[in-house]
Order: sequence, then C-alpha cells, then structure tokens
Amino acid sequence: MKHDDTLAAELERRGVSRRAFLKFGSYIASIMALPPSSVEALAEGLAAARRQSVIWLSFQECTGCTESFTRSFAPTIENLIFDFISLDYHHTLMAVSGEAAEEARKEAMAANKGKYIVVVDGSVPIKDGGVYSAIAGVTNKQMLEDTLKDAFAVVAVGTCASFGGIPKANPNPTGAVAVSELVGGKPLINISGCPPIAEAMTGALSYLLSFGKIPELDHLGRPKAFFGETIHDRCYRRPFYERGLFADGFDDHGARQGYCLYKVGCKGPVTYNACATMKWNGGVSFPIQSGHGCLGCSEPNFWDQGGFYRPLPTPLGAMGPALAGAAVAGAALGVGAALSARRHQKTYLASLEKEKE
Amino acid sequence: MTAKTTASGVAYDVQGDRADSERRDAAMQAFVRDFARTAAIHMESCLRCGMCATACQFYVTTGDPKYTPINKLRPFEQAYHRHIGPFAPIYRLFGLKSNVSIEMLQEWEALIYDACSLCGRCTLACPMGIDISELIKEARHGMYKAGLVPDRLELMDRTTKAWGSPASPSDDFADIVRDTGEENGVPVNVDLPKADYVITVAPAELTEHTKALTDIAKILNKIGASWTYSTAGFEASNIGYINGDLDLQEKMTRKIIDNAVAVGAHTLILPECGHAYGAARWEASRWYGKKVPVRVIHMTEFLAEVVNGGKVKLKKFGETTSFHDPCQLVRRGGVKQAPRDVLKALGLELKEFEDHGELGWCCGGGGGVVSNVRADPLRFKAFEIKRKQVEDANTQHFVTACGQCRITLTLGAKHAKWDQKVESLLELVADNLED
Amino acid sequence: MDLLAFARGPALSFSLAIFVLGVIWRLVGVLALSPWNDLSPPREGAPPNWLSAIQAVFRKMIPHRTFLTAGMFTTANGYVFHIGLAIVVLLFVPHILFIRSLFGVSWPGLPNGVVFGVGALTAASLLAALAYRLTSPVLKLISRPNDYISWLLTFVPVVTGLAAAAHVGARYETLLALHVLSICAFLIWFPFGKLMHAFLFVLSRGATGVRFGHRGAQL
Repeated sequence: MKHDDTLAAELERRGVSRRAFLKFGSYIASIMALPPSSVEALAEGLAAARRQSVIWLSFQECTGCTESFTRSFAPTIENLIFDFISLDYHHTLMAVSGEAAEEARKEAMAANKGKYIVVVDGSVPIKDGGVYSAIAGVTNKQMLEDTLKDAFAVVAVGTCASFGGIPKANPNPTGAVAVSELVGGKPLINISGCPPIAEAMTGALSYLLSFGKIPELDHLGRPKAFFGETIHDRCYRRPFYERGLFADGFDDHGARQGYCLYKVGCKGPVTYNACATMKWNGGVSFPIQSGHGCLGCSEPNFWDQGGFYRPLPTPLGAMGPALAGAAVAGAALGVGAALSARRHQKTYLASLEKEKE
Repeated sequence: MTAKTTASGVAYDVQGDRADSERRDAAMQAFVRDFARTAAIHMESCLRCGMCATACQFYVTTGDPKYTPINKLRPFEQAYHRHIGPFAPIYRLFGLKSNVSIEMLQEWEALIYDACSLCGRCTLACPMGIDISELIKEARHGMYKAGLVPDRLELMDRTTKAWGSPASPSDDFADIVRDTGEENGVPVNVDLPKADYVITVAPAELTEHTKALTDIAKILNKIGASWTYSTAGFEASNIGYINGDLDLQEKMTRKIIDNAVAVGAHTLILPECGHAYGAARWEASRWYGKKVPVRVIHMTEFLAEVVNGGKVKLKKFGETTSFHDPCQLVRRGGVKQAPRDVLKALGLELKEFEDHGELGWCCGGGGGVVSNVRADPLRFKAFEIKRKQVEDANTQHFVTACGQCRITLTLGAKHAKWDQKVESLLELVADNLED
Repeated sequence: MDLLAFARGPALSFSLAIFVLGVIWRLVGVLALSPWNDLSPPREGAPPNWLSAIQAVFRKMIPHRTFLTAGMFTTANGYVFHIGLAIVVLLFVPHILFIRSLFGVSWPGLPNGVVFGVGALTAASLLAALAYRLTSPVLKLISRPNDYISWLLTFVPVVTGLAAAAHVGARYETLLALHVLSICAFLIWFPFGKLMHAFLFVLSRGATGVRFGHRGAQL
C-alpha cells in the first residue's frame, strides 16, 4: 500500500466496485442522517481522500474498544477503511515494540505535522503528576500533550477517553480524567460507549476524511448522528413501557414475554447511543434484545449511577441514616418549639418588655 | 367608653384610657395563653379555600369578602404564628410575622363581635374541620383584655358584675319570680334550702318573657318535683362567655353550679338560652378542673325528658310548625332530637327548613350580636335568610327553644314589617298540659 | 456531577431530610403544646374519642350539600386535582419504583398514556384553581404568599413531569433532572407551608370530631 494512493484506488485494488462504494457512501450518509444530496459529495470526498495518518494512544483502558473495532463479524468496507488509514502507532496492533514503536510515533508526527489524527482510548491519570500510567517512561498525560501539539483533530474512543469511564469511577484513585479535559482547543470528537459501536467510529472518520471537518456534535462532544436519541426512544420494547408492562426480574413472566426492563434497572431513557438502531455484531442484537437492561455505558459516570439493577427513579444517596437523623432533629426542634411556646404563654408580657429594651 | 373610627373608616368602641401599646400587649397576652393543642392544630390547618364564606350568614347576605369567617381571625392567627406555632422562634428571628398592631385590633373589633354570632356554621363547611367559631370565641378573650369591645356588650358586662345579671339586680329576683307567680296563678318556689331541681333563667325572662318563669314552674309542679329558684344562682346567661371576659365567665358559672350543689340538686335546668348551654353544660368543668357534681341540662332536654318519660301528657294541636334550631343548642350542643320529640308530642307536624338541625341558619343575633345595637343593620340583613326559610316552610306555628333567638327573630320581623309570631317550646308545653 | 445525578443524589437526599425534619418538627411542635382536656360529662351514648376522630376524618371528605351551591367549584376542582395528583404520584410506574426504593413496598401501575392524560387534567385543574384564587374576592382577600408558593411548587413538578414524559423542551435527562429538582423544592417547602395539610387534615378534623362527638353534635 502506498501512502499517496487514494481510497478509491485502494478499494478498487481490493475488488470493491464503484457501485458498492457509492452504496457505502449512502449508508454512511443515512446513519449520520446527512441529506441525500450529500451522498455524492461524501463518496467523492472519500474516494479522493489520501491515506490519513492516525496515531492511536492507549492509556487507562482495557483494549475492549480496539477489540470492538477489530473483531468485526465480516470484512466490510468500514473495516477496509481501517485498513486504509495509516495507523502509524497502536500498541495492540503494531508489529514493532519498545523504542522502535515510540520512534514510529515521533516519525509520523513529524511527517504529518498538523494533519494527523490522534485517536485516544482510555482515560488519563493526572493525580500525583500522572505517575499511575506511563509508556516508555513518559506519563500518559505528557504523551498526550506531546502528541496533540501538531495534531489536526482528536477522536476519543470509548467512555474512558470520552468521560473518564471506569478508571474515573469512585473513588478514582489515579485522578483519571477524560481526554476532553486535556485537549485545549483541538477539535475533538467523543465516540463514547463501553465499547463504542464500530459504525459510529467509521461514520465519524468517514465524515472527517471526506469533508475534512468535524461532524455535528452534541453537548458532550459526540456526533449527533449516533448519539442524538436515547436507547429508550428507539427501543423495540418501548411500547411495553408505555402500556405499563414490565419485567420484574430476569426470569419472570414479564421477562419471558420480552417486556420492558425499566424496573430491573434499564438506563435506556437517559442513555444516548445507537445500540437500539444499529445493534451489535452486524445488526444481530443488542443488550436489551438479549434480555438485559441498558447499563448506560455511553454516558458520563455510568459506573456511579447507583447500580445497574436499581431502577432509574431510585435516589442515588443512601437515605436511611440521614432520614433517621432528620427525624430525631425534627422531634427535638418540635419539642423545643413547644416548650418555648409554653413558656411564652406564661411570660409573654415579660418577654415583650425585653423585646422593647 | 368612646366610639371611634380607624383610619380606614371602620367604627370601633374602646374602653378605658390605657395607652395603645398596653392594649395591644394585653390582647397578645390573652391570645397566646389561649392556644392549647386543638386551637394550635386548627391554626396550622387553614387551606385558604374560602368554603367557610359560603356558610356565613353575614357573608352570604352582604357578599362582602371581609366577612369570610377565617378572615375574622387574622390578628389571632398572627399572634399564633409569631408566638406559639412550631416555627414561631424562626418567624420572630427573621421578622417574618410582624406583631399585631393596635390598628389591626381596632379594625377587627367589628368583625369579631358584630359580624360573628358564634353560630359555628363555618365549622361544618370547613373541609379541614377547623372549628372557626370556637377560635373566634377565644379571640374575643384578647379583645376584651384590650378594652376593644362594642360598648353595648361592655355595658352588659359591667351591669352583670354589679347586679349579678344583665337584666335585673339580684335583690329584685325573688320579687320578680313571686310577682309573676301571682300574676299567672302558679305556685313558685324561691330560695328553698334544699331541692332536687334548680332552675336558672335568662335575661329576657326577667323582662320580656317573664311567663317562662311560671311555665317551667307549672311543669315541675305538675310532675310533683322538688324544685327551687335561687337568688344565689339564678342567672344562666353568661355575658362573660360572649364578651370574652373569662373572669366573669368563671364567676357566673361558679354561681349557678355552686348554688345547685349547695341546695343539693341533682339537676340544674338551664333556661331556653343558647350560649347558657355552652357555658354551663360544656365549659363549666373547665373552672373546676373536674366533672361538675351536678347534672346540667337545657330546658329543651328537660321537656323531652318529661314528655318522652310519659310524666306529662300534652294536648295535641294537629297543626303544622317549623322549628328554628338554636345554634348553641343544636349545632354546637348536640341537642337535635329533643325539641323534635316535644313538638311531636304536641301533635305539631314539623316541616323542616331545607337547612335545619346542625345545618340550620342562625337567627343572626347569637354571640351578643342582638345586644350590640351597632350591628343592627348587619343583623337585619342576615335576617333575610331566616325570613325566607320561614316563609318557604309556610306553617301555622314557628317555634324555637332559645330566648335570644326569639328576641332576634321578633326584632327582625318587626324591622321587616313582617307579621310573624315566634313561639317558645317551653310555653307551648306549659300551655298544653293535659290535666 | 451532571444535573440529573445531582438531583437524584444530594438534592434528593437533602430535601427528603428537610422534609422529614420539618414534618416532625411541625407535628411535634403542635402536639407537644398543652392539651385542653374536656372534663364535661360526654353526651349519653357518645362514641369514644378515637372513633369520633376517625368518623370526622371520613365525614369531612364529602361536604354538606348546602355548601355546594356556592362552594361547588372549590369542591369539585379540589377533588379533581387531589385525585389527579394521587393517581399520578401513586400509579405512575417510575414513581412506584421511587416509593419502593424508599419504603420497600410497591403495587401495579397504570399505562403511561393514562397517567399522562390524568397529569394533563391535573395541570389544567391546578391552573383553574389558581385562576379562581386570583379572581374570587374572598380568596383574593384571604390568600397569602404561602398559598401561591404552595400552588407553584405543586404545579411545577406536574408540568416538568409531563414535559419529561412527553419529552418536549429539552433533553430527557435534563427534563428528568428538573422534574426531580422541582420535587426537591416541593419537599423542602412542604412542611413549612400549607402543603402540610396532607398530614394536618387528620389532626384538624379529628380534633373537631372529638369535640363534636363528645357533645353528640353532628359534623
């Protein structure tokens, strides 16, 4: 594969027809809710795109995001796009290791100054000078800062990179933060999810490649095309919710009937992602379809929302002791007020005199 | 004693020459002393729904929102929240509830005395069950202490203190009874040292309705009871109860109860008077701190007792009648069946008003309103309701069991140039005893 | 912490604590005042005090017909929004789950469409109540800031709840957070304003019931 090849040429070499390519363009346009008129522009843009240099930084992460992208069900054009980009640095996927790997990163940065895209998975620990995660003696924080300096854009992949994710969960021992907190003014796309949907990543990259700019984002920096609606809004079990038909457990009548999982803790109503429409494993299923409520994995702090199986209306705080304390305090205040009133009934005039003085 | 007008043009009477601040403090002290648990619960509970207005004769006949019963309690409420309520310390600390001003008390005098007959209809309308009329009665304690009472009521207060009765000096009582006995040819007992029944009277019976004195005597003689009137305790009407003069209320109550105990009576018969029943039947034990050692019953209860017990036989009228339920007796006293039994025994077919019994409309003169001439225009307005009720019933007789109601109704009819006789249940029974 | 987590977490804990504190404060503060025992002999055949109290609580649920001519709107509209609020609060599944999380008890709910309809009716009824309060001379005279604050803090949760259910005006989690926060405001105000009548009505009616029952008078 040569660096100055266009994507169209590359795909043609792999036996992908022009027609199939256009089809892919319209697919991307449709999942990203772009107007039909943009299909051609998108296809043209993609076709003319040069190999894009990508530096993939993995910090406090579990590699699940990478797994999600690489373990695709069947080779598809979107996989080919991953093949097409010049993944110049990626721990898991690159053949070289050690100093050579770090060299590759620096080389790519120098060669594509101002043009390369930085993809980050994992959160960045910043507590205690960032010592809790380092690669080749360089803290994640430092490496991110160095790499970002000449980047064109940043893509935070997965919830850890987008929002801090599990490393940031209480009590967050490493002081993990989201990439967004460290990017300064660099354009940033968050593709949250644990792991994120591969199509969301492909779509965002395709958009970036063909239009050279960031797609429309929501207030959390996620492409609206994939994170514009809640799981609940598009869930095939929604009618059960509306009719008041719920599973009360995972093996009761309601569960077997495929009723809504709201009562067993589904976070679909407050989770913005495309699972209910794109689904997983090539459109086979998604968690709710398999009988488990949504965990809300694409949302900030999803790990600390009071438990996956506690229904959404459950208060987050522990109530018992606080309420007991309040009850005792209330009783004390009540008795105090009544005693003061009773004293007042006896000494009203005397106290009035005092008020006047 | 002077009649004055507030800056907002509301007339009020004021007694004594104390400084305003002293009056205010005296009222507040009396207000705060009154708040026991029940009153406090009721002060906490108002929803401001306005249902009580629909029950009040003074609001209904004038349409003036200031007559909304709960509005009449405003100074009392304010005193409660500032000094007694659970959040009173906070209210005071942050000045959230200002102290009651003398101007407010002056302005409220007419609402508390002229525009409330303590009839208690509002209590029945309140969805929270707030006993508004009881609270107004309590609010009067403070008004009395402040010397902000209608002059005519204060006059009765002073007369009662001097005479032992607002109608006649105690010294004249025995003579009035004996004269009436002679006049009507009925043997009467006065000041017997021992008797089973002691009879008490209401002011009207010493002036306009003296026949009542011998009517009850006739019945007691008929059943052969041992009974007496006592100079030491004859006046059952209790102007202290009405005015909010607690000292006088206690004094008047103790007089009749102590006397009844002294003559060894088993029963104290209260006259045909509404508030006498409230003061003696329900509040007497308050002064003794225990159950009073004598049975206290209303004239109407006594009549029902002798009629239902077959002790007297009555001639039958075979005519129709309507009955005005005295508020203190029926709504606030629970004596609803007794007068109806007596009317039945008289062969009178009772045509009930649409609103009767506990829902009956007040005559308009209760709670001292009839004695308070300043309130006349308002009272005559309220009378329109009663007049319509009586006219709608269209019966041969119109009976009641309270002398004050009778006077109010008679005065109302006279003012409206309406020819309607108001009869006394006692009189009907006494006049129709079978031999 | 985002708005929803703040609402479901510290805000809700705090307001529930204030609610409990205030309710107990107010009830104890009143009940610990000196009692006034009626020592007069009760009417013959008078029911025991506790029975009179209970009877009064139920008796007062239905007004005498004579007060309905003038009080029809107040009564009927009062019924509409009280029943409406009861249905929305007690029979909407998310609310049941909230109650279950606090008290461990639950019951079946109604379909959302029904609850939504009832909620809309309740909101309309509350608006009518406000309009009446603002136009009736009696209510204008006797109303206090308490009445308007209590109205607002009842109305806002209904409206935010409807908005969240209908998903209009903002993102769902924002609407939900506003709904929860409006309930927090409601809970905090509850013990200090007239919303407290939800507890006081038993005491208030009961006290008068005892007085009337003792005298053999009808309420």
